[in-house]
Amino acid sequence: MDRKDNQTPQGESARILVEFLEVAITSIVFLKGIYPSGAFERRRYMNLVVHKARHPELNEYIHSAVNGLLPFIQKGMVERVAVIFFKDDKVPIERFVFKLNVNQSYGAKVEQAALEFSLRSFLIKLPVSEPMTKVLPCKCRWEITAYFRSLPQTSTSQDSEMWIPTDTKQWQQLPVIMPIRSMSSEPLGLQLYLEHASLSEPNP
Amino acid sequence: MSFETTRSGNSGSNSKRSFNSISSNPSNKTSSSGAKNTKNDKKKKTNQKTLGMAWGANSSSSSRSAFRNSPFSDFGSYMVLKNKKLHEQFDAEASSSSQSGSSSGKSIFHGVSIFVDGYTVPSSQELRGCMLKYGGRFENYFSRHRVTHIICSNLPDSKIKNLRSFSGGLPVVKPTWVQDSVAANKLLSWIPYQLDQLASEINNQPKLSAFFPLKNSRDSDDVAPNVGNHVISETENSSLKGGTLMVANYPEHCESTEQVDLCGPEFNDILHEYQTEMMLEVPACSVGSHCELKGAELCDISTLDGMNTGFEPKSSSCQASASVCSGSLDGHNSKESSSSRISLASNQPNSTLAEPNFVENYFKSSRLHFIGTWRNRYRKRFPSSSNAFRYKSSCLNAHADCFFVAVVIKNRPELQDKPVAVCHSDSPRGTAEISSANYPARDYGIKAGMFVKDAKARCPHLVIVPYDFGAYEKVADQFYDILHKHCNKVQAVSCDEAFLDVTDSRVEDPQRLASVIRKEISDNTGCTASAGIAGNMLMARLATKTAKPDGQCYIPPEKVDDYLCALPVRALPGIGHVLAEKLKKRQIDTCRELRIISKESLQKDFGMKTGDMLWNYSRGIDNRLRWSDSEVRATSPREESKSIGAEVNWGVRFRNTNDTQHFLTNLCKEVSLRLQGCGVQGRSFTLKIKKRLSDAGEPVKYMGHGDCENLSHSITIPMATDEVDVLQRITTQLFGHFQIDVKDIRGMGLQVSKLESTDNGKLVHQRNSILSWLVSTSTKARDQEKVTSLTKCGDIVGKLNTDGDRGQLCSNHVGPYVRSDAGSSAGGSGISQDVILPPLHDLDVGVIESLPPDVIAEINDMYGGKLTSLISKYKSRTFDMNMSTTSVDSAEGVTAEEKKSHPSRLAQSNKISLDNKYGDEGTSVQPCSAPVSENISVMPSSLSQVDCSVLQQLPEELREDILGFLPAHRRLESLLDASLNPSENQTGSMQAVSSNELWVGNPPLWVDKFKVSCCGIMNIFAEMYYRSGCTCRLSSILQRLLSEKHVPLDVSTDEWDDAFSCLCELVKQYAELKIQTDIEEIYICIRLLRRLTERSKMFGLVCDGILPHLQASFGENYGGTLHVSSVQD
Repeated sequence: MDRKDNQTPQGESARILVEFLEVAITSIVFLKGIYPSGAFERRRYMNLVVHKARHPELNEYIHSAVNGLLPFIQKGMVERVAVIFFKDDKVPIERFVFKLNVNQSYGAKVEQAALEFSLRSFLIKLPVSEPMTKVLPCKCRWEITAYFRSLPQTSTSQDSEMWIPTDTKQWQQLPVIMPIRSMSSEPLGLQLYLEHASLSEPNP
Repeated sequence: MSFETTRSGNSGSNSKRSFNSISSNPSNKTSSSGAKNTKNDKKKKTNQKTLGMAWGANSSSSSRSAFRNSPFSDFGSYMVLKNKKLHEQFDAEASSSSQSGSSSGKSIFHGVSIFVDGYTVPSSQELRGCMLKYGGRFENYFSRHRVTHIICSNLPDSKIKNLRSFSGGLPVVKPTWVQDSVAANKLLSWIPYQLDQLASEINNQPKLSAFFPLKNSRDSDDVAPNVGNHVISETENSSLKGGTLMVANYPEHCESTEQVDLCGPEFNDILHEYQTEMMLEVPACSVGSHCELKGAELCDISTLDGMNTGFEPKSSSCQASASVCSGSLDGHNSKESSSSRISLASNQPNSTLAEPNFVENYFKSSRLHFIGTWRNRYRKRFPSSSNAFRYKSSCLNAHADCFFVAVVIKNRPELQDKPVAVCHSDSPRGTAEISSANYPARDYGIKAGMFVKDAKARCPHLVIVPYDFGAYEKVADQFYDILHKHCNKVQAVSCDEAFLDVTDSRVEDPQRLASVIRKEISDNTGCTASAGIAGNMLMARLATKTAKPDGQCYIPPEKVDDYLCALPVRALPGIGHVLAEKLKKRQIDTCRELRIISKESLQKDFGMKTGDMLWNYSRGIDNRLRWSDSEVRATSPREESKSIGAEVNWGVRFRNTNDTQHFLTNLCKEVSLRLQGCGVQGRSFTLKIKKRLSDAGEPVKYMGHGDCENLSHSITIPMATDEVDVLQRITTQLFGHFQIDVKDIRGMGLQVSKLESTDNGKLVHQRNSILSWLVSTSTKARDQEKVTSLTKCGDIVGKLNTDGDRGQLCSNHVGPYVRSDAGSSAGGSGISQDVILPPLHDLDVGVIESLPPDVIAEINDMYGGKLTSLISKYKSRTFDMNMSTTSVDSAEGVTAEEKKSHPSRLAQSNKISLDNKYGDEGTSVQPCSAPVSENISVMPSSLSQVDCSVLQQLPEELREDILGFLPAHRRLESLLDASLNPSENQTGSMQAVSSNELWVGNPPLWVDKFKVSCCGIMNIFAEMYYRSGCTCRLSSILQRLLSEKHVPLDVSTDEWDDAFSCLCELVKQYAELKIQTDIEEIYICIRLLRRLTERSKMFGLVCDGILPHLQASFGENYGGTLHVSSVQD
């Protein structure tokens, strides 16, 4: 089934994207220093040094979360994937948002190399955008949240059952957006930006 | 092995190498040679400082003293002698092993001489063994002259760096090459087995040898089939041995056995002649070569079951000495009644135990096998028949009525109205399964799959007839001949069923066509057929069901609903016991009830696909292009099978491993034949075994497999094969993986997958080479290679010329190309074995267009469909070109007047021409209709030599191409020149900038507008567009603007308002364009505008001006606001 799906351009780009997201999310978590740096090991991905979680559960969380999205990304149902850092009160501090756009009408073959080359630039840009990010207070938590264009039908896949509605609160004001990287190619468009609470956000 | 060579091998710089290898390979030596070596090292201690010596010093040798006085004058002469001795030893061993070993004659490594360097897996001794066994040579000491391949798993850095001095230019190969070659039973190309450390360097520069098979391997190719044949005939002999032995027992028939053909019919006849006598002599013993006879093979034997056990222990002697068949078993030539046949039982049943040709016979008499292989036959018969097609309005389903029975009884009128069923055997035990029953029999409730005894219980006078595969084939062929005669769109489903697309048939009324076809079938074949006509395949099939037997039914579109509503769901194809049961639980019996349920809930309850199918079928909707269920895979003739195999699950009983081996041999033969029949070779082999469960007794069904557990093992080899002996070796190996008591085996199957078409290999090569010629860009290659490859290319062109279209293509297009572009080694990229597609834009569309359509389609597939779009693009482009009567300006240098005159002239006449000036070499004008890619060599070195106004008139893609070919550093200055040329003839008069299409076109609309604007800052913007490389990215334009410090950006007050509104509009529209996909770009633009505020306040104001709008659209699209405050520097 997987194999068959991957033969479609959407399946192919979704597969590449999911793999990339796994790496990128791990990079974000590493970047934010929420775990000690010893919890990560250096790996090579797309000929770049990236970091991979050593702790199996952390690794598994990221892996299963993004891979669970694969069928939905493929169908273009996922609009955004956010990595949200929040305090105990569930109020987000910082959100890294991946905005996805899988071209559903793209029919030609996906040039994997070209796509990966574009995605690579995200991983390069990510560490250098660290100054834009906020310093997290201690005792922070984080989660991966996916925003769907429409709610998936419950029975379509077991993977969807792994997803639960998030109880993280929203900001009351519109957040401030800081773009980190954008790419738009035929099969796949992807943007990564940072969301911070607006200055006028009431401080609890 | 002359003195000279050895000497040189040990002298000078070479000596170190050879000593290294000695020391690193202590295991290479036999004990005696080791001793000698030790001795020698000792002796030469003073002048030879080597590692080998140190090793030698530590090892004790009893024979040392004996050698002390050895008469070697120097080291060289010693080595000569030693090598000679080693060779002699090797030869002796080789000859003795080939005499004793069964695998003699397979000298796959003929001409190969390996030298093993360092530690390898398998060890050098094992490799030596391989070489011994398969006709290769093994060198203990490296010599450039004797060694052909160096085998090693790893190399130290120093050797990698000085590879040539280490290897002497010989291939350095991993040991798996030897193993795989043995496994594939032929010498494989060593290229893929190159040492990884080296491969990376060498892959970049593929060798010709990869493209043209090695001489060695070709030689061995020649050898291999011979060997194969040899083995086949050998095995055939042995498999028949049983048979010949039997006859040999009767001396008077000896002469006749000599005339016996290897494949049995005549043999059988002979046996038949004497059958009566024999039955008298050995009444209880008979062996089933009768199985050769079609139809009656799988006779049940029950009466003598008891005797079986008694005979079993001495069955081996039975096989040899006793019994020739009781041949009259075959029901089809004897008109004996079934009861009389019972007496003709044998103690050696039709199992693998007794029958040498069991496998062959098994498949000869298998109905499923017949159906399975029918497709291949059909394909060959009607190769042109189109594949799947969608039935637009009218579909006719023709189905022969109970085909398997009808064919058998057509010549037996006495059976016409009696209940008849087809079955392998008609024994009183009745455990054979009925495979087909005619309508009178069906009235008794007899169905396919029923045991004979159950059927007889329902209908005591049921007549059981055996198969007649010859007749089936004949009738099926007639059936399809008739169908193809009446309709050219026939979609075959099975040997007795087909769909016809009668939408645009000659005969107006499909009903009349159906009756004509049916009548013809009935007249020609003597069997009846039914037909169903409806709008799609689903309905046509349902209609046929209604029409049966011997009738036809037409369901017009308006009656589909009525028909379906009354139809029980069970009647729909794809709904079997389980699904029907599930539906019944939900109180759904007919399609009417099914229709009430929504698609979503159906999908929820039954899964996506099934739900979808139920919903569609209940409405008579059939979206399939073809039947997708596995039962009718045969439908689309072009669909290639994924695997080919043979499995025997009936009558499999073994006594010992020899039986199994024999059985596997036959199975391999069968599979090999099937592979060859389909014209494919496979790489992956799976051996499946049915193992009797420990608690399972003898199955109810006679000789059936009963309760079994299924085991399987598979293996993948690097070279696809269909050769029997390779298959045999692989299966033996696979069988070795099973730890299993052969007595427990109840079924075996061999399946081959990862199929490659036998022709495909060649095809790929051809494709590869053609593609490599289509590549216009050249890869640098060494001169030598270039020359050889070009000559080789020429050869191939010549070769291809002989085979039709493709050849023509080459001579017409490729040939000239190769010549004109002789600087590039065209063969270069085609050499590597993988098909590496050249980038799409490198393809020469002109050449591609002239290819025959089928080749284009092929290439298009390889590019995932992008090629067609490229071609169509190209076509539209050339259409433009053709409109222009290309003007050729051959003047030396383009004067200013000419420059000016061009735009106007072009604007008027819509002519497009490109002046390509060649610095001093004079001016040459390339007609644009020539593919751009060919122009690389004639491109000017700088765009300044190109008339920019002409350039601007060119279609977008063409211009991009040209710009792309220009050296980057020259682009800007030339474009600057171009843009500073105010062209009055530009029609773009200043319009209201508020139109929403400022960024449309290439160059975008605003460029022209800004260029002709009277406002300085806007002119600069337009200029920057060209300077920044004609990108459509505002950020790069702004960036450019920022870096050009000298450009004055002051805006006079009278222009202010105009410029402000224009720029605002420009940025605003740009933001709108990018808001969805690229907020990074917007962000950068805003920041750049901020930074430009330093130079002119205008930009700050523009920025502030658009920000509210921008934030609004950010809020709309992203639910946030863009962060702008902190970057205000």
